[in-house]
Amino acid sequence: MTSPWALVCMVSAAVVAFGAAVEGGLIRLDGKALATASVVSRANAAVGIDVPDELKAKYRRPDGIPAPKANPLTPEKAQLGKHLFFDTRLSRTGTVSCASCHNQAFDWSDGLQRGIGVTGVELPRRSPTVLNAAWLTALMWDGRAETLERQAALPLTAEHEMGVTLEEAVERVKQIKGYAPLFEAAYPGEGVTTKTLLGAFASFQRTLVSNKSAFDHWIEGDEGAISDAAKRGFMLFNGDARCSKCHSTWRFTDDSFHDIGLESEDVGRGQFAPPSVTIMQHAFKTPTLRDVRMSGPYMHDGSMRTLDAVIDHYADGGKKRPSLSPEMKPIKLTPGDRADLVAFLETLRGPPLHVDVPRLP
Amino acid sequence: MPVLRTLLVVTMSLCACLLNPRSVSAAEHTIAITHMELQEISEELRVGDVVTFVNEADMAHNLYITYEDGSVDNLDTQVPGMKRTVTLKHAGPAVIKCWIHPIIRADIEILDRAE
Repeated sequence: MTSPWALVCMVSAAVVAFGAAVEGGLIRLDGKALATASVVSRANAAVGIDVPDELKAKYRRPDGIPAPKANPLTPEKAQLGKHLFFDTRLSRTGTVSCASCHNQAFDWSDGLQRGIGVTGVELPRRSPTVLNAAWLTALMWDGRAETLERQAALPLTAEHEMGVTLEEAVERVKQIKGYAPLFEAAYPGEGVTTKTLLGAFASFQRTLVSNKSAFDHWIEGDEGAISDAAKRGFMLFNGDARCSKCHSTWRFTDDSFHDIGLESEDVGRGQFAPPSVTIMQHAFKTPTLRDVRMSGPYMHDGSMRTLDAVIDHYADGGKKRPSLSPEMKPIKLTPGDRADLVAFLETLRGPPLHVDVPRLP
Repeated sequence: MPVLRTLLVVTMSLCACLLNPRSVSAAEHTIAITHMELQEISEELRVGDVVTFVNEADMAHNLYITYEDGSVDNLDTQVPGMKRTVTLKHAGPAVIKCWIHPIIRADIEILDRAE
């Protein structure tokens, strides 16, 4: 199962020259102001970091979990979906479940460069994390699903992922008697259908929400929750490094599509756009940076193994071609800037989200 | 005499246009894109109208219009500050979206061309 439920943990980093202007005893770090400032690391200026409240507000976590009117979230649906998520019997060979590629031990991805499903064939793209999928407005690396319910069908039916038809999946679940009461509790009177099956998958995934990280505590007002280096990295992230042009919102993704200039034949979103829409060639969805794995791999194809490689890529600006995102521009950064960015990214990792693996019927 | 006749025809035509509100030429509209939102479209849109999208956001956009028959007008990429113009081609419901940011969406109704 490859790029099933949404995002990924890749790290976009990018950095730029820093700028600093001393204001009233504070070191004010402002992206624009820093453009002409010395590239001498501001790590030496640990007097205090003035971060605008309005900027921090953009990253505040939301209250509650969104769900569509057609499939309201209930504990019963989530419980059913959890069973299905961990059930290998829904794959053609009986050996692969959703959790195979979305393993909680790997922050709900698989740690592989590219996923491997029932056929053993390496998939073309990396398995994204399913954390915070409830908020996604475009799913899969190429955005070919608009809802979690629609997305759930894609890895199930993909030949090299789970490899069954929806009808087969429904029939298999019907044959397992222990599922009947779970379906009845979740969808009273509806039985096992494609709709209830996919609805349950979606419901469980909506409950997979990143735990609060040090960054969240800082956003909520605990100034000591993150280091000055991380705060400088945050300002850089939002300033000259331009990371937040795409890695925006509390999930650090704009759910949008950009060609970041990777050497890849995969046209991504371009597969679904007319050839005249140049900007969508080689464009992929911005992955979340929440709970980003510091050990990689990164990018839609898992082609980068280290954060250093990622930062180098953004500093270089990516492969120059007509589809390259206008947001991609070469940037300069010092070793100190790089260290600050990494320090910031580390604050996005909260305690691991643990789910008790269910005893299957 | 031919000159006077011509002037008379022109004058009468102008009067007819002014008195008949449906005989106005295609209208022009300006719609701003702010961040990831399209400015609310409250004006009446008709086939032949010219719509200019102004990118007031700090990021690039690439809008396109999909008409009821499935045909698409692509406005191409517009970086911050850039304007893109399109002439509305078909009457009926249509959708304005952004290739880069699918969350941007506006459902519009295009009326028949003004007569």
